[in-house]
Amino acid sequence: MTATAHPDRNFKYWLVSPAIFLLLLIGLFPLAFSLVVSFMRITMLETDTSFAGLVNFTQLFKDSRLWGSLFHTALIIAIALPVELVLGLAMAYLFLDKMPGRQLFVSLLVLPTIISPIVAGATWRLLFDNRYGPINQILGWFAGHPVPALWTVNPNLVYPAIVFCEIWQWTPFMFLILLAALSNVDRSLTEAAEIDGARFWRSFRFIVLPAIWPVMAIAILIRGLDLFRIFDIIWALTEGGPGTMTETISIYTFVQGFRQFETSYTAAIAFLVIVLLTVIVTWAIRRMGLAK
Amino acid sequence: MVNRRDIGKIGLAAGFAATATRPAWAESAADVAVKAAQQYKGQTITIVWEAGLQSLDPTHFSGPKWKELTGMDVKVIEVATADMFTKIMQDYKSGAGAYDALNVIPAWMPDLAQAGALEVLDPYVEKYGYAAELQTIAPTYRDNQMKVDGKIYGFPDDGDVFLMYYRRDLFEDAAVQKAFKDKTGKDLAVPKTWAEFDVVGAGLTDVLKDKGIYGAAFFRQPPYTMFMFEERFRNEGGKFFDAASMKATINSDIGVRVFTDMRNENKFMPPGVEQWGFVENLAAFLQGQTAMTISWPPYGRWAEGYGTDQEALNWVPKTTIAGKVGYALPPGGHPELAAGFALSVASTSKNKDAAYLFIQWLNSEAISLERVKLPFTLRDPFRAAHYTDPGYLALWPNAKNYLAALKLASETGLLDLSLLQTDKYEEVLRQAISKLWAGDDPKAILDTAAGEWDAITQKIGVDKQKAVYTSWASKSGAYPKL
Repeated sequence: MTATAHPDRNFKYWLVSPAIFLLLLIGLFPLAFSLVVSFMRITMLETDTSFAGLVNFTQLFKDSRLWGSLFHTALIIAIALPVELVLGLAMAYLFLDKMPGRQLFVSLLVLPTIISPIVAGATWRLLFDNRYGPINQILGWFAGHPVPALWTVNPNLVYPAIVFCEIWQWTPFMFLILLAALSNVDRSLTEAAEIDGARFWRSFRFIVLPAIWPVMAIAILIRGLDLFRIFDIIWALTEGGPGTMTETISIYTFVQGFRQFETSYTAAIAFLVIVLLTVIVTWAIRRMGLAK
Repeated sequence: MVNRRDIGKIGLAAGFAATATRPAWAESAADVAVKAAQQYKGQTITIVWEAGLQSLDPTHFSGPKWKELTGMDVKVIEVATADMFTKIMQDYKSGAGAYDALNVIPAWMPDLAQAGALEVLDPYVEKYGYAAELQTIAPTYRDNQMKVDGKIYGFPDDGDVFLMYYRRDLFEDAAVQKAFKDKTGKDLAVPKTWAEFDVVGAGLTDVLKDKGIYGAAFFRQPPYTMFMFEERFRNEGGKFFDAASMKATINSDIGVRVFTDMRNENKFMPPGVEQWGFVENLAAFLQGQTAMTISWPPYGRWAEGYGTDQEALNWVPKTTIAGKVGYALPPGGHPELAAGFALSVASTSKNKDAAYLFIQWLNSEAISLERVKLPFTLRDPFRAAHYTDPGYLALWPNAKNYLAALKLASETGLLDLSLLQTDKYEEVLRQAISKLWAGDDPKAILDTAAGEWDAITQKIGVDKQKAVYTSWASKSGAYPKL
C-alpha cells in the first residue's frame, strides 16, 4: 500500500483541524492564560507582576473565608437540590395526565425560569422588604400583629429566603425535564404492575425510576452545577451578607477579582473551583451511571 | 415652582454677575475653556459619570450646553458608584483609552494616582489660567480633595457632607416639649452630642409614636452606615490606626461603644430600619414619619419640595414637611464629607486638552453655580460663592439656613478615610456593620475587623501605607480637634 492509495487518511484531520484549533483557542487559551496569571503577583492596584510561585495556591489553604464560601455553597446545594427534585417530580406527576387547561398551567409554571436571576433576586428583595414588601404584610394578617421580619438581615432568615427564591425559580426546570421523562415511560408496564398489586412506591422504584433515571440524573447534574455557580439571586438579596454569612464561592471569587482587584489570587481560586468541579462531576457521572 | 429653564436663567444671571465683578480685561475660567475648546469642534469627549440622577447633569444640562458653546460632543458613560473604580482601573490597565474625563471619589485618588490612571493637572491649570478660580473652592474641599503628594489630580466638584435634618415644627411645639419634659425630665433641644441624641430620639419616639412618628431614623445599609461610623467614631475621639505601628485601632473602647450605641438606637427607630437605604430613609422623613435624620444635602432640598415636580424626580415622595425642616450639624459637630466627587482627566485619554477644558468649564465658578442649583443632579455647593448666591438663597424660604448649615458643615467636616486600597478597608467595615445588624457581639466584630485591617496593611506594606496614612492624618479634616 502507498500513501497515494489512501488520499483521505490525513485529509479528514485537515478538515477538522480549523474547528479544533478554534475550540482550543477559545476554550483552552483563556484557561492556560489564567493558569499563568495564578502563578504571578498581578493585582489591579500594584505595578509588581513578578512570578510568585505557589504563593497564591498556598494562600488558598489559609483562607478561611474561601472555605466558608465553599461551605455556604454546599449548604445551599444540599437543601435546594433535593427540594427542587422532589417538588419538580411531584409537579410532573400532577401534570402527567391530561386535564383541562394543562398547557396553560405548564406555561405559567415555567415562567420563573425565563426571568433573569438578578431580576428575580431584586424582585424578591422587594417582596421581602419590611417596609414595602407584601410578604411581611401577609404574615402580619395571619399573626394578627405586624411582623417586622428582616429577611435579608436576620441570620435565621437569610438562608430560608435565599433557598426559597432559588426553589421558586428553578423547580419548574426540574418539573419540565421530569415531565418529559415521565411522559416517555411505558404506561403498560406500570399498569401491569398495578394489576399485579404493586403499590405506587414499588411501581415507581422498580419501573418508573429506572426508566427516567438517565434524564433525571442529567437534570440533577445540570442543577447541581448551576447551584454551585449561584450568584445573582444572592447578590441581589444579601450581597453575601450579613457579614459573609451567605457568601458563595462565585460571590467570593467576584469580590476578590472585581472588588479587591486580586487578579492572580482570583485565578488561583478559579483553578481550585475547576479542580473541585472536575472531581465532583467525574465522581457524580460514574456514581449516577451516566458514563455507561 | 422653579423649573430647569428658570435655573438656567438664574445661573446665567449669576454668571454675568460673577463676570461683572472682574476687571474688564480678565476672562473667566469658563470663557477661557470655551474659547480654547473651540479648536476641537466636531470631536467627542467621553466622561465617566455616576449612573442615575447625577448623570442628568451632563446629559441634560452641561453636555448640550458645551456642545452649543464649542461644537464638541460629550459622551456620558454611566457607571454605578460601586463599579466606577473598577471600570476606571480596567480601562487604564488595558490601555484602551476609552475615557477622557472622569468623576472620581476623592478617597480613591491616592490609589488611582499611584497606579498612574490620572493625569497630573498642574500644567493644564497653569496653561489655561485656572489657578485663581481654584482658590475660591471651599477650603475643606480644595485643601483635602484635590492633590496627592502635592500634585493636582482632580477638581473637587461636589460638596457632599452629612447634615442633620429635623422637624422644626415638632421641636418648637409646646405640647411636644411638655410631653418630652414629662417623659425625660429634660428640655427638648436639637442634640449636639450622641448622648443627647439618644435621649432626644428615644424620648420623641415615646411621645410621638402614637401619631406614627419616630424620634429618628437613619439609612442603615452598610455602605451608608460605614460613613456614619467613620464620622461618629472620630467625633467620639477614635483613631483608625496607631500612628506609630499602623495597627488598626477601630476595636478600641470607643469603637465598641459606638457600635453598641448604634445598634441600641435602632430600638427607638422604625422597625426594620436595619434594611433602610437612601430612599427608604428619605421617604420616611418626607412623609413626616421621623423627627430627625442625617443624610446628604439633597434631603434638605427635596424636603422643601425644591424641583420635585420635575420628571426626573417623580420617584421622590411628595414632601409633607415643606417649611417645617430645620438644619443642624450632626451630633459631635464634625460631619462626614461622605464620598463626594472630583473631576479628573484619564491618563490614557487621547484628547487630554479637550477633556481638561471640559472639566475646567464644568468646575468653573460660573458653570458650577448653575450645576449645584440643578435640583435633580445631586451636586452640592462646594464653592464659597455657592453658599451666598442670592439666587440659591431665594430658592425656598429657609434656604438661607440650609446654605449656612452646609457652609458650616464644610468647614468642620471630616474626610473619608483615604489610604492605598481604601476599598479593602471599607469592605471590612461594611461587613462588620452587616454583622452588627445581624446581632453579633460588637467587640468580637471589631476585633475581627481590626485583624483584617492589619492583614491588609501587612500585605500592602506597613511603611508604604504608614506614609499615606500619615499624609492623610495630617490634613485638616482627617480628625477633629476635640
